[in-house]
Amino acid sequence: MLFNSYEFIFLFLPITFFIYFYLNHKRLTEASKGFLVFASLFFYSWWNIAYLPLILVSMLFNYVVGTHLSKKRSTSKHYSSKSLLAIGILFNLGLLGYFKYSDFFITNFNMLFESGVPLLHLALPLAISFYTFQQIAYLVDSYKQETKEYDFLNYAVFVTFFPQLIAGPIVHHAQMMPQFAKAKNKVKNYRNIALGLFIFSMGLFKKVAIADSFAIWATQGFDVAQNLNMIEAWITSLSYTFQLYFDFSGYTDMAIGIALLFNISLPKNFYSPYKATSIQDFWRRWHITLSIFLREYLYIPLGGNRKGEFRTYFNLFSTFLLGGIWHGAGWTFVFWGALHGMALVIHRAWQKIDFKMNMILAWFITFNFINIAWIFFRAKEWEDAIKVLYGMFFGAITLPTPLKEYISIEGVAFGKWSELFYSDPQIFIWLLAGFVVVLFFKNSMQLKESFRPNIINLILTVLFFLSIFILYRKSEFIYFNF
Amino acid sequence: MTLDSKNYLKILFSILITLMIMAVIYSYYFIKHYPIPITNRISLDAKITFIKENIDIDSVDTIIVGSSIGLNNVQGETLQKSSTQAKSVLNLSVYEATPPQIEQILQLTPTFPNLKRIIYSAQYSDFAYEGKLKEYNATFIGSYIKGSLSTKEKFAFYFKSCQNIFFCIKRAWNWRDKYQQNNQFTYLGFDATGSVPLHIYGDDIIASRWQKPHSNRQNNRTFDALDRMSLRAKNLNIDFIFALQPYRQPLIDKFSHVAPTMQKFTQRVKNIMSKNSGKFIDLHSKLHLKDAYFADRSHLNDKGSLLSSQALGEFLDK
Repeated sequence: MLFNSYEFIFLFLPITFFIYFYLNHKRLTEASKGFLVFASLFFYSWWNIAYLPLILVSMLFNYVVGTHLSKKRSTSKHYSSKSLLAIGILFNLGLLGYFKYSDFFITNFNMLFESGVPLLHLALPLAISFYTFQQIAYLVDSYKQETKEYDFLNYAVFVTFFPQLIAGPIVHHAQMMPQFAKAKNKVKNYRNIALGLFIFSMGLFKKVAIADSFAIWATQGFDVAQNLNMIEAWITSLSYTFQLYFDFSGYTDMAIGIALLFNISLPKNFYSPYKATSIQDFWRRWHITLSIFLREYLYIPLGGNRKGEFRTYFNLFSTFLLGGIWHGAGWTFVFWGALHGMALVIHRAWQKIDFKMNMILAWFITFNFINIAWIFFRAKEWEDAIKVLYGMFFGAITLPTPLKEYISIEGVAFGKWSELFYSDPQIFIWLLAGFVVVLFFKNSMQLKESFRPNIINLILTVLFFLSIFILYRKSEFIYFNF
Repeated sequence: MTLDSKNYLKILFSILITLMIMAVIYSYYFIKHYPIPITNRISLDAKITFIKENIDIDSVDTIIVGSSIGLNNVQGETLQKSSTQAKSVLNLSVYEATPPQIEQILQLTPTFPNLKRIIYSAQYSDFAYEGKLKEYNATFIGSYIKGSLSTKEKFAFYFKSCQNIFFCIKRAWNWRDKYQQNNQFTYLGFDATGSVPLHIYGDDIIASRWQKPHSNRQNNRTFDALDRMSLRAKNLNIDFIFALQPYRQPLIDKFSHVAPTMQKFTQRVKNIMSKNSGKFIDLHSKLHLKDAYFADRSHLNDKGSLLSSQALGEFLDK
């Protein structure tokens, strides 16, 4: 079920909300939790019920292992806590690897050894990348004795809570479990409902009205066009840059808004990432919960910055390379991760020599780097990425015919500025508006902080909710693929 | 002014519910007064609504198909009067329909149980581009026309059609000025058979459409579509008649590419017709119409389409 669908907005969400609070009102708190787990699994199964056993098995396995790990250091004669943790992590990574990366490895194996191992063509179970990471974190923390003894129901609510289940934010048990346990949170909170609806409607608007509009132009450029002139290539890459931002931040806003209806505060996941003035700054603003996970459970265990300068660079690069692979099984994702890893290494080296840069120039370089790197993130094939990149830097320049009288430059042609986007001149206004919104507007977290139930926010909520009249363009969120 | 959260929510939900109710009321009004968005073509939507409301599907024996060349150049009512064979005509033509799209539209033929003939009215320019109708489901549309949709299906259909309410508002907004003026090439005021005779004369004639002929572009897939649809008609025991419509003679004389393109086109169509036992009538050569009968290079005005329809009627009776 998509957040941006009628069945979710008009049926699933209100029904779940009312039953959950009704059960709590009747002091059936365990039943209300049980209902929330049931509703979340129903929500999950809506796409494909075949995925349900997988998440149940994963949840049960991790709960059992986690519980064992959290009970003092294992007293078992047969295995140590460390090996149990290793088994737990291997199980999770194995599951993820099998479903997500099998065909990628087989394809490369076949290419390398000219063999003909048949592909498995496995459908990627929805949300597997997210709930796997969430549960690995739980196991590691259990091993470190940082978890409490939760019962299975609480654990199940933590893993399956539907607002964050499909595409994050990647939540941490320490943030979530106490909130579900808090008695105050079991009572309807009108302020949270007002705020939740505000944030949800804003996310809906970002997704349906903005991201899905940019998606049309990005798809045209990446998937339809054979080649692109310079203007078309820049429109294509910028359209995707904005599409991805509004899609993912829209999804996150919706998730945060829905969770607030249930008095649950999900962690911040976006904080104006395109305002970043360095790549490090970017990763502190984009998909924040993933960055935190990678830092806590990969970069630091690898040694972080504690093992010398070279090792720090290596750890940084490896962390982002793996981050790239996490996003998808393909060399373009690997390359995207490597690009970001390299950028972070360079940035760190600059910091080391105390290299300072003008803020505007720093933003310009950062934004363009991100924009270019997204091309590899989006391209289905290398050829598509090369096509867009070539167009951006070496594509033909065609200026509007009326300018012919004033400009005469060799290599510049005059005529239709674009065959591909000619019928959509409004694209320039969209791009300009996109820049204005991401650079000069308050982000949803800032708006959340300053929210008051006043007339302006009421009008804004209503306006944002008008997006439901264009829900016919139902499209999945990009991060559902990861 | 900060409100109490509970009151804030009361106001918010009141507004949202009011908006929803207004949307439902407007959708109902729209469905009753304007073509329901069923396909991605307004002229096909309007035609489907028109058939559902005005045509006795059991009596239809003759269907005219084509693009605007079918819609504007053949008057179904005149054809009925001019022919003893065509007693009940339905013009199923759709603006800008390409042959593959017409092939899709002809999947509706089972909706008309007594259909005897299909007349494809076209010019060479109709065979320049392919392209298919999006979101087109002939079985569903057939059921809708026949009124055999269940209540659930009907509700789902109306809901789906009106969910883009902004689109519906825009369509309603444009309806009178854009689609109800018989001096425009977007006119959708159907006669009793679904034809759209144009009343374009004098200042309403668009110079570029009058003076410039179509290019010589022809697409092989469009001929494949014609082949398939005529063969299908043959297999269903339905006569298939291809009517080549008139073209402005001064343009044929002035531009060297037009005559050979028309000749080549005519030959290809004749070959297909002869292969699939179809019939062919060249109304251009037969009528030799003067400019006074044209609304542009290939569209006839209402006087021209009257003559074209009479000639077609006579041809059917032969």
